[in-house]
Amino acid sequence: MKTKAKTVISLKNISKVYEGPPPVKAVDNISLDIKEGDLVSIVGQSGSGKSTLLNMIGLLDSLTEGAIEIEGQDVSVMSDNELSKFRGEKIGFIFQSFFLLPGLTAQENVAEGLLYQGIKREERLKRAKKVLQDVGLGDRLEHLPKELSGGEQQRVAVARALVQNPAFVLADEPTGNLDKQSGDNILSILKELNKQGKTIIMITHNLDHAKKFKKVVKLVDGRVVA
Amino acid sequence: MKQKLKKKDLFFVALYGVKSRRGRAALTSIGIGIGIAAIVAVTGISASGRADLLATLESLGTNLIKASPQAGFFGTQEKLPDGVLGMVERIGPVEEVTSTTQTDLLVRRTDFISEFEGGGISTVVTSSELLDVVGGNLTEGRFIDKGLSNIPVTVLGNVTASRLGITSLAKPTKILIENEWFGVVGILDELKIHPDLDRSVFIGYGVAETLFNVDREPTTIYVRANPTYVEDVVEVLAPSMNPENPDQVSVSRPSDALEAQEAAEVAFTNLLLGLGSVALLVGGVAIANVMVMSVLERRMEIGVRRSIGATRKEIRYQFLLESILLSGAGGLIGVLLGVGVTLGYTNYTNIVFSIPALEVLSAILLALLIGALSGVYPAIKASKIQPAEAVRK
Repeated sequence: MKTKAKTVISLKNISKVYEGPPPVKAVDNISLDIKEGDLVSIVGQSGSGKSTLLNMIGLLDSLTEGAIEIEGQDVSVMSDNELSKFRGEKIGFIFQSFFLLPGLTAQENVAEGLLYQGIKREERLKRAKKVLQDVGLGDRLEHLPKELSGGEQQRVAVARALVQNPAFVLADEPTGNLDKQSGDNILSILKELNKQGKTIIMITHNLDHAKKFKKVVKLVDGRVVA
Repeated sequence: MKQKLKKKDLFFVALYGVKSRRGRAALTSIGIGIGIAAIVAVTGISASGRADLLATLESLGTNLIKASPQAGFFGTQEKLPDGVLGMVERIGPVEEVTSTTQTDLLVRRTDFISEFEGGGISTVVTSSELLDVVGGNLTEGRFIDKGLSNIPVTVLGNVTASRLGITSLAKPTKILIENEWFGVVGILDELKIHPDLDRSVFIGYGVAETLFNVDREPTTIYVRANPTYVEDVVEVLAPSMNPENPDQVSVSRPSDALEAQEAAEVAFTNLLLGLGSVALLVGGVAIANVMVMSVLERRMEIGVRRSIGATRKEIRYQFLLESILLSGAGGLIGVLLGVGVTLGYTNYTNIVFSIPALEVLSAILLALLIGALSGVYPAIKASKIQPAEAVRK
């Protein structure tokens, strides 16, 4: 029996204005509750404020107005250091362009996800290996990013986001640079994670992908329209 | 909140930055490398020179004093009073004393050479003690000892020998003094602090008197004094030798000349050190420049690190350490290069090799310091990049 899920992320009238000239209101007075185990997709045209919203939720960007509560904590009052550590422990990021470090192997790239957690290198590499096996790259541990296909690189990036065992996974168009098959593959990994209980928020242009999500947030000019 | 990035990990993160751009790192380090190499080589060569000088002074002694009559108003030499040797010997701290008599006898290799081409070689009449008192050595043969004093044989100063083209005494060799043939029985090693003796030939008092009618009055007196009282002996020497007119005696310490020469070299060394410092400064600016560029290029990396939990401070330390690693590598290369240059130079000039460890250490520290200073601005710049900006598509 499923108990009623609690709200883990609560956006309260948040806005973001990029100082001009002219000033641009990228996110305009959005309020939104995200529950534990939600699978949320954010859709919208280019420039509709999707990435800004995701970055604010992920504590990568500051708010101009409003407040964000994550797991009941008001993060808008946290110091920069606290935010950094909070990101490191609670949030896993997946980027459209993978953002792997070119000089490190797949395993080392994934292990970097634990670098700022005070965990020893051997332990980091051990955990990285495990997660890479989970995403089906157990045979690519020693490969450099340039030796991997786009889909494989994104799976390494997903593994890097997962290695710290975050409560939330935020993905900014993770399939945007991939062919259909690789994109579907990433998507099914994310859905599988969601089944295991992770809260996932993903930006996508792909309406087919969006349809598979329980909750869709549509943005137009920085406002939620659906 | 406590920093969680371990020191060892920080080091590897910084090292990654250097290693992933090897070519650029090498080129960036060169500036610092050249500066440090220049500084190490200059201090090394100058220290070697000093060490060599000290060795020379030690072997020759700084307690040697030379006295000769003051050159007269028209360039004529006053004579030293009769019995002057005895007077000098009676000064307490004087340990050894000997004298020579300068002549204007013409020296030639053979009689085919015109009498007008003496070649600036002077003939010095000497007793057997001279070599001991001035601390000279023979490269070959023997000095004019007591048994040779009355025989027409001669010993050549080092410069004289090469001017006359006599490098070996394997075959019996003769030279012409005035119009008498003298057999060469020895060649002196370079005396360094007595360039005038290097340019002389030496003959004994007996033969000088018989053949050239040279009287025994000394023109130069060499004194070895007790090292503790050298200054005192210098002070009383002139009045003792010529109580009536002490100002007619010129007293000098040959080692002073070497020390003065060394002092002149110090000024030159400082100039070179200044140039080395300029190279370091330029190297530091180059590192700062490259690091700023690197920060701009690596926004993605900074963004990723911030998103996986790096604080500003951890980013700052990363870039600061990277800058220090770059300059440290340059410093290390510079030290090796500088030591190499010094080693080459000392080998080539055949002087004592000496590099003060403290100077090498401070050169490396200096390089690290420059790296740290050059890294401050780029590191702050890197830490101020907003994570959201850094991960923007």
